[in-house]
Amino acid sequence: MSFETLRALIQGWAGAGLLPAGLTHGFLVNALLSGLVIGPVLGGLGTLVVTKRLAFFSEAVGHAALTGVAIGILVGEPYTGPYASLFGYCLLFALLVNYTRNRSNLTSDTLIGVFLSVSLALGASLLLILASRVNIHILENVLFGSVLTVDDRDLTVLLVVALGVTALMLPLFNRLLLASFNPALARVRGVPVKGLDYLFIVLVTVVTVASVKIIGAILVGALLVIPAAAARVVATSLRGFFLLSVAFASVAAVAGILLPVQLALPVPSGGAIILAAGLLFLGALLARFVTRGEEG
Amino acid sequence: MSARSGNGPGILFDRVDLTLGRTAILERVSLSVAPGAVHAVVGPNGGGKSSLIRALLGQAPHRGTIRLDWPGDGPGTVAYVPQAVEFDRGLPLTVEDFLAVLCQRRPAFLGPDRRLGYGEALARVGMAGKGRRRFGALSGGERQRVLLAQALIPAPDLIILDEPMTALDEAGVAIFESLLAGLTAAGTTILWVEHDLAQVRRLATRVSGLNRRVLFDGPPADMLSPEQVLDLFSAVPRRKAEAEASRPAARRMAS
Ligand SMILES: Nc1ncnc2c1ncn2[C@@H]1O[C@H](COP(=O)(O)OP(=O)(O)OP(=O)(O)O)[C@@H](O)[C@H]1O
Ligand SMILES: [Mg+2]
Repeated sequence: MSFETLRALIQGWAGAGLLPAGLTHGFLVNALLSGLVIGPVLGGLGTLVVTKRLAFFSEAVGHAALTGVAIGILVGEPYTGPYASLFGYCLLFALLVNYTRNRSNLTSDTLIGVFLSVSLALGASLLLILASRVNIHILENVLFGSVLTVDDRDLTVLLVVALGVTALMLPLFNRLLLASFNPALARVRGVPVKGLDYLFIVLVTVVTVASVKIIGAILVGALLVIPAAAARVVATSLRGFFLLSVAFASVAAVAGILLPVQLALPVPSGGAIILAAGLLFLGALLARFVTRGEEG
Repeated sequence: MSARSGNGPGILFDRVDLTLGRTAILERVSLSVAPGAVHAVVGPNGGGKSSLIRALLGQAPHRGTIRLDWPGDGPGTVAYVPQAVEFDRGLPLTVEDFLAVLCQRRPAFLGPDRRLGYGEALARVGMAGKGRRRFGALSGGERQRVLLAQALIPAPDLIILDEPMTALDEAGVAIFESLLAGLTAAGTTILWVEHDLAQVRRLATRVSGLNRRVLFDGPPADMLSPEQVLDLFSAVPRRKAEAEASRPAARRMAS
């Protein structure tokens, strides 16, 4: 089934009053589809990001996207989706951070702090040099997301990335987790710890880059962190942790895309999605306080 | 699950050297562990016991030879009980989830694979009915028991224990003892790092004293004499030992 038929189907249902009326607009259907595709993946992967303490890393990779876009514009890729530069630069950034972390005595937060600042400085400088060439709205879209300009090419990238990441993450979930519990024990059980470390970094990077269009470079890392953090606050088992994180991320993505349109609020999609996730996190904290008191 | 009988490997350490940075941690360590033995390794803190295990597991850059001689046609199952797991106590992970993460392929968040016998393994370490408890909320001894339980899935042919009794209470010690008996009956080779010499004397079939080098190696009844133990736990073997004969720690260990 092509995106075209799917879109027609949803628009039909919206026209018949089965779905919100806004979905008669093709661009909004695209936006909703992209949210439904990437939300669950970000939520699921987020549980691993939080458990492996890679929250700061995933924020940093998101910010690296800014530099990736600048490079894309510099080398003449289309403004609306400079994917080659985005994927290329962000992967380079992520692998370099991981490689250096394995070979220095610095803690990863220090190291990421260094790489992140240098990368941002590079991106900002490039964008200023390019300022005469780019429309300021493009910058705004890159920074905060522009879900309403998602086209079929963006959807395809999202779908391929989402399926690929899911296909790798699910069978390797236990091993990825075990590698961070106790590497020695993991190796005895045949887990290639180093290799999986790199693979996970690549998964996080690829998902992050694919989501930049929707959520924006500034906030994209947050959707890997906030839903999982909220789920962790209330869950009592791994099952609850994972399923709640997937649910929270999906709800935040869909709400953040649809609500601004329904309510005619001039809020960028990325901001709305993360605000929705933030509200869920707040709710989770409150639920915990109410049900468990202050046991820490 | 039926334990295969007599599939425990022999282990040969031949002149194993391990140097990390500038520090010699193991020097010309030669040891042989018989198939099916309960082979204890004792020694002072920092003596290189955990490092020896890491070398055996292929996780330390050693020189010399470490060879596993498997009786069957291929390598069997190796289990490992680490000295400690660093663990984020706030993680929403039950005891069963923890076992599932370790032992099964199916994503642990889909629930435990009942065929793998987590319940029985937990029962064997006296943790029956505690599978739904949060792993991070367990006491030190309970966590130690879960670490033992994971080593039973699947049934091991070689089990490597790094101070498994540290946090165990008396009931835990009894459980550990019956575990050893069960594993021995199944023919499992047991390499056991332990600091409690009384337990080693009681339960091991052979004991090696390790303080960077192998200082003694033989049956516990002969090896754990007061002088041997004094040698082992004093910084410089033998000569200094006389002078330090009044060290209370060493004497307590030896008694
Ligand atoms: N990665 C490392 N780099 C440098 N030295 C190390 C490293 N790991 C361990 N050591 C040193 O090797 C020595 C042996 O350590 P090991 O953990 O093997 O001792 P152990 O016999 O298990 O002690 P314990 O009874 O305290 O568990 C120690 O002096 C330790 O400082
Ligand atoms: Mg040790």
